[in-house]
Parts: sequence; structure tokens; C-alpha cells
Amino acid sequence: MPLLINRVVADDSWLLVDEDNLSAHIDEDIVVPYELFSAHTDSLINAAGKLGVRINGDQDLNLILQHLDKVSLVAIEFPAFTDGRGFSFARILRRSGFSGQIRAEGDVTRDRLEYMERCGFDAFAIPADRYSDDIVSAFGEVPVHYQGSADDERPIFRQN
Amino acid sequence: MYQYNEQDQNLINARVEQYRDQTRRFLAGEIPDEEFRGLRLMNGLYIQRQAPMLRIAVPYGLMNSVQVRKLADITRKYDKNYAHFTTRTNVQLNWPKLEEVPDILAELAEVQMHAIQTSGNCLRNTTTDHFAGVIADEIEDPRPWCEMIRQWTTLHPEFAYLPRKFKIAVTGGPEDRAASQVHDIGLHMVKNAAGEIGFEVLVGGGLGRTPVIGKVIREFLPKQDLLTYLEAILRVYNLNGRRDNKYKARIKILVNALGIDEFRNRVDAEWDVIRNTELALTDDYIAKIKGYFAPHPYASDAVDGISVLENQLEDNAEFRAWYERNTREHKIAGYRAVVISLKPHLKPPGDITDVQLDAVADLADTFNFGEIRSTHDQNLVFAHVAAGDLYTLWQSLRDLNLARANIGTLTDMIVCPGFDFCSLANAHTLGVAEQINEKFDDLDYLYGIGDIKLNMSGCINACAHHHVAHIGILGVDKGGEDYYQITLGGSSREDASLGKIIGKAVPQAEVADTIEKILQVYVANRSEDERFIETVRRIGLEPFKERVYAAVN
Repeated sequence: MPLLINRVVADDSWLLVDEDNLSAHIDEDIVVPYELFSAHTDSLINAAGKLGVRINGDQDLNLILQHLDKVSLVAIEFPAFTDGRGFSFARILRRSGFSGQIRAEGDVTRDRLEYMERCGFDAFAIPADRYSDDIVSAFGEVPVHYQGSADDERPIFRQN
Repeated sequence: MYQYNEQDQNLINARVEQYRDQTRRFLAGEIPDEEFRGLRLMNGLYIQRQAPMLRIAVPYGLMNSVQVRKLADITRKYDKNYAHFTTRTNVQLNWPKLEEVPDILAELAEVQMHAIQTSGNCLRNTTTDHFAGVIADEIEDPRPWCEMIRQWTTLHPEFAYLPRKFKIAVTGGPEDRAASQVHDIGLHMVKNAAGEIGFEVLVGGGLGRTPVIGKVIREFLPKQDLLTYLEAILRVYNLNGRRDNKYKARIKILVNALGIDEFRNRVDAEWDVIRNTELALTDDYIAKIKGYFAPHPYASDAVDGISVLENQLEDNAEFRAWYERNTREHKIAGYRAVVISLKPHLKPPGDITDVQLDAVADLADTFNFGEIRSTHDQNLVFAHVAAGDLYTLWQSLRDLNLARANIGTLTDMIVCPGFDFCSLANAHTLGVAEQINEKFDDLDYLYGIGDIKLNMSGCINACAHHHVAHIGILGVDKGGEDYYQITLGGSSREDASLGKIIGKAVPQAEVADTIEKILQVYVANRSEDERFIETVRRIGLEPFKERVYAAVN
């Protein structure tokens, strides 16, 4: 599954763990599902490695917001491209000061990338069958923004 | 009206090219059907029963003559020489080709028009009062605020995949001609005790399967907070609205589930965070946008036309009837607002031909500062016609079959396209509209009935707002036959209410006869000057039920 980070194809340096192999990797750079984060919050935020959390729209972003300085990556799942909750999650994370990676996962395809980036996503895990080398041309297709966004909070009337 | 600057133009040009590429990739098999569906809907393109349908945005119902001429041209070049105005004051083409839509959009962009967010689960076109800016008791012209909302909603990156569609209406004063109480958000310009102008905010109104009147979430919102507050509502909705069932996904369901107080608490908590961010409106921006809606250069001698007009009204009963039904007071002496009826005899309500569009554009240049408005009840408005020009304008409109003196009467119906065009519809509507028109063609009879609102939808989605009509008609399918359920007592005005069903649905052939019976009950029961809706509210449904469902002996 190709991974774009800051519009460039990149290797994934993170390891996704589950309940069974968590203890073996707890001091590495890992991404844990929200349920694990919720169940083992204290041990995870005190572990030696960097911590990523995978969350979807049904889960409570506040738990991550409470520990934002201990989290280095948030992976937001899009179970379907029509599920727009992840856009608000990213926006809230960035405005709360989160500077780590926000990765879009799941049904992540070309025609959502521009809006996702504007909301604060900087990494995109794109299903292989929907990936093509020209996919990065999706960014910046519409160069004028009436609204502020994660990288420039100024709406049109405060630009210039 | 608002004029695009370079940035606005660049945005819609870029959007055309983006959509052109999306269409190309879809036709090349690179985008799955379901995904392209989302993309094309967000750009106003439906796949209908017989052909695609393209819905073109008319932001808050305001157009200039250049735009209307372009619409005429597009209907000739890409469609079947007519267009259809909708209850969102937008305009629809019924026969475009999917492959040609990018070219249509490119032509629209030349005249600052587009189809952005005219469908799909996103922020839709904002609507307002079609008499905005010309009403004497208006607190403030709502259109600059609509324009600020237009800019904020257009290609909003966070709210393009909402649980369901989202509609906002704005009114400038106590009268409501925008059905604001049955919108996801209704904004009313109000003045507070300190004399400051701001907005009363309603949330959670809507029609469709679950009609609801909106609830007040904030009694007074300062002007500069407009967009931060809207954004707070949208964020709470985007995060919490139901996504498991599209029939329960509108914000009205969320507001009802949480209760208005809890919903308000959540919005306020979010608003606290964003109220004083860059999204707070600046005085400069407000002033700049208001500048685009400055009054037209009204002629100071327009009042001189009034005496001429009075003679013309005296001499010509047909002209007088049109003047009385189809024109309204203007706050500038010597001017009137004219409603151009798109409800001619035996033609689909809201339809207009290319020839009529061109002629309307020319007349607007001659008599109305080049401005044309579309209304939520599917008519057009020339808002600023000098008294001395009314007779000439009327003659021209009459020759175009655009001067039927029926505004506000029974035949000024809102009707959706129904089964003839729409793939959602359960029943036909256009044939029933014809039946009603044939039955009630006598203008003197209609004037005797007076102000009445009849709306007809071809399915439960209620595009024609039947719940909030004095007489609402809903087409239903019963074993392959079209039947029509009738509601009485609805209103979309400042006294908004939902109509109640009078009984079992009637067969298609009996709709007009049933309406006649209802009107007979009204005529027999009304006290002097009482409008239909007032009689219904006073005497209740029983007398109507008795008459309509009386056993045949």
C-alpha cells in the first residue's frame, strides 16, 4: 500500500501492533488501535518508543487530545470515502497544536486528498489499486481557498 | 450584485478543470461508479429517469442579464431549449449529456456561474427573501450576509462529506419569504435591546420524511460571529450526525435526539474555541461585501410615473388584475417589485424557454437595472420597476406568456418535476398540475379564493415543500397507481406550521375535484377577509374531512 508523506512516496517506519504483540514491541515506534490505547494509556505514553494511535469516527478523539504531547502520529480511518468525520478530527488535532503525523487510512483515494491536506493530514496510505504516479497532481488543483486551513488559518478576507 | 474578483474567477475556473478531469477519469474507468456519483453530485449532476440532470447554482436567487442570456444559450446548445427553476432558487437542465457537462460548466464560468455544491451531502446554495433590499420593514439587506456565507461554504474542505445535505436560509426582517424555519439553519436579521443588528439563529428545521420546524438555538448572534458560529454548528453536526441511516442523517434528527439544550451546549463549547479566531468577520470585509449591494441609481422623477400608471390601471382591467396580484410595494416611492409568473396555464411550473430567458434578460436591461431574481416558489422577480414602465413591461411579459396574474393564488403552485423526470419520484406531478390548472382557470374564481399556497411533491422527499403549503399534495404509489395524499394548514412563512393529513389518499383523477370540495368548505366557513389558512386554523380539519370523504349516496 503506497504511502505518501508530504506529497512524496515514503517508507513506513511505523509498526502496527495489536493486543497479542504489543508487549514485544512496546518500546519501539508503534501504532496501536484506539482500543489498546484506551486500555493501556499509562504504559503506552510512558514507553520508550514513539507512539501512534489509530482512531475512527466512532471513537473519542478527546482521549488523544488529553495526551497530545505523548503522541507522535494519529492515523484516522476512513471506513468509506463518504465518512467525513476524519476531516474534523484532523482539523481539531492541528488547532490543538499537534505537529506530529496525521495519516489518512482506509478508503483514501485521489479526489479527497486536497481537502484532507487542507484539514491537516500530511500522510496518506492509498490502496494499491487506486494509486498512480500522477496522484500528487490532486494537491493544489484548486489554488484559491475561501476558508482558512491547517497550514494557513486565514480565510479569504484576511489573505493578501 | 457581487462581482467576482480574480480569485473568485480563478477558483471556479480551476473547479471546472478539476471536474473535467474527474469526468475524463470516470469515463476511462479510473473512478468507480459509486465514487463518481459523490463527485458528480457535489457538482450538481444527477442521473435521472431519462437523462442526466444538471443543477446550476443561483446564489441567493440573484442573476444579471448576461448570466440569463448565457443560460438561454446553454439550453439551446446543450439541452432542449428550456430550463427549470427550483425551490432552492437554482436552475436545472433536464437533458444535458454527461460528457458535455464540463463544457457547460466552462461556459457558465465565463459569466461567473457554476454548479458547485448544488447537490450531494454538503453545504448547499444559501437562499433568501426574493424581495431583499426593497422591503420597507427590512432590518437589513440579507444578501451581503448570503454572499459571505457563499464564500465560506464554497469548497469548504472539512464539510464536503457531511452525514447529509445542509441548507441555510437568511431573512432580513420579520417577514419570511425564504421558508427559513424549515431549513437546517435559518438566520433572521434582528435588532437587540441595545439597538445592535445581528442574527436570530434557528437550527434543525427540515422537510422530507420527518418534517420539523427549526428551533431557536441563539436569540442574538453578533454579526462578526456569523461564520464562527455556523462553523461550530457544522463541526458538531459533522462529528455527531448519524451516518448509519440516510433517512436519519439530517441535523434535525441530531437536534431532536440530543434536545436543543444539549445541542446548544455542544455548539457553544466548540464556539468558545473558535469564536475569536481568524474566521471572525472583519469590518473591512463586511463593508466591502455590502458595497456590492448598494442601492441601484433610482430615478428621482420615478414618482412622476404614478399618475400615468393610475390612468392605465383605470383603463385596463387585465393590466389592473396583473398589477394587483403580481406586483409589490418598493421602499423607494415610484418603484414596484414585479413577480414574473412561471406558472402559465398548462405548462410545468418553474419552466422557462430559451426565447423567454433571452427576452427576460432584455427586459431586465431596459426596466430593472439588468437584475433578475429567482424565487423559492419558482417564479422570477424584477425588484425595481418604475411605475411609469409597468404597463409597457406588462405588455411585453404578456406577449411572452409570462404575465399570468396568478401570483399567490391557487395556480401559483410549487411543483417538483415528479415521475416524468425524477428517479426518486413515486408519482407524477405535472399531469396533476395540469388537471388543477384546467379546473381552476377562472381568474375571478381564483381572486375570490384569494391568497392560498398549494404545493405538490412526487415523493416523500418533499422537494416541493408540500408539508408547509396551505394545501399540500403528496404523490404516493399504491400498487402501481398514482394516489395523492392531501394535507391542510401548513405554512412556510413567519407563522410556520406543518400541514396535517386529512385522510386517505385520493386517486389521480379526483385531485382537482377534491381541492374544489376543500375550497367550498372554506368559502362556506370563512369570515370576512379571512384567508384560507386562517379559516383552516380556526375551524380545524373536521369540516374538510367530512366534505371530502362524505359517503356518496
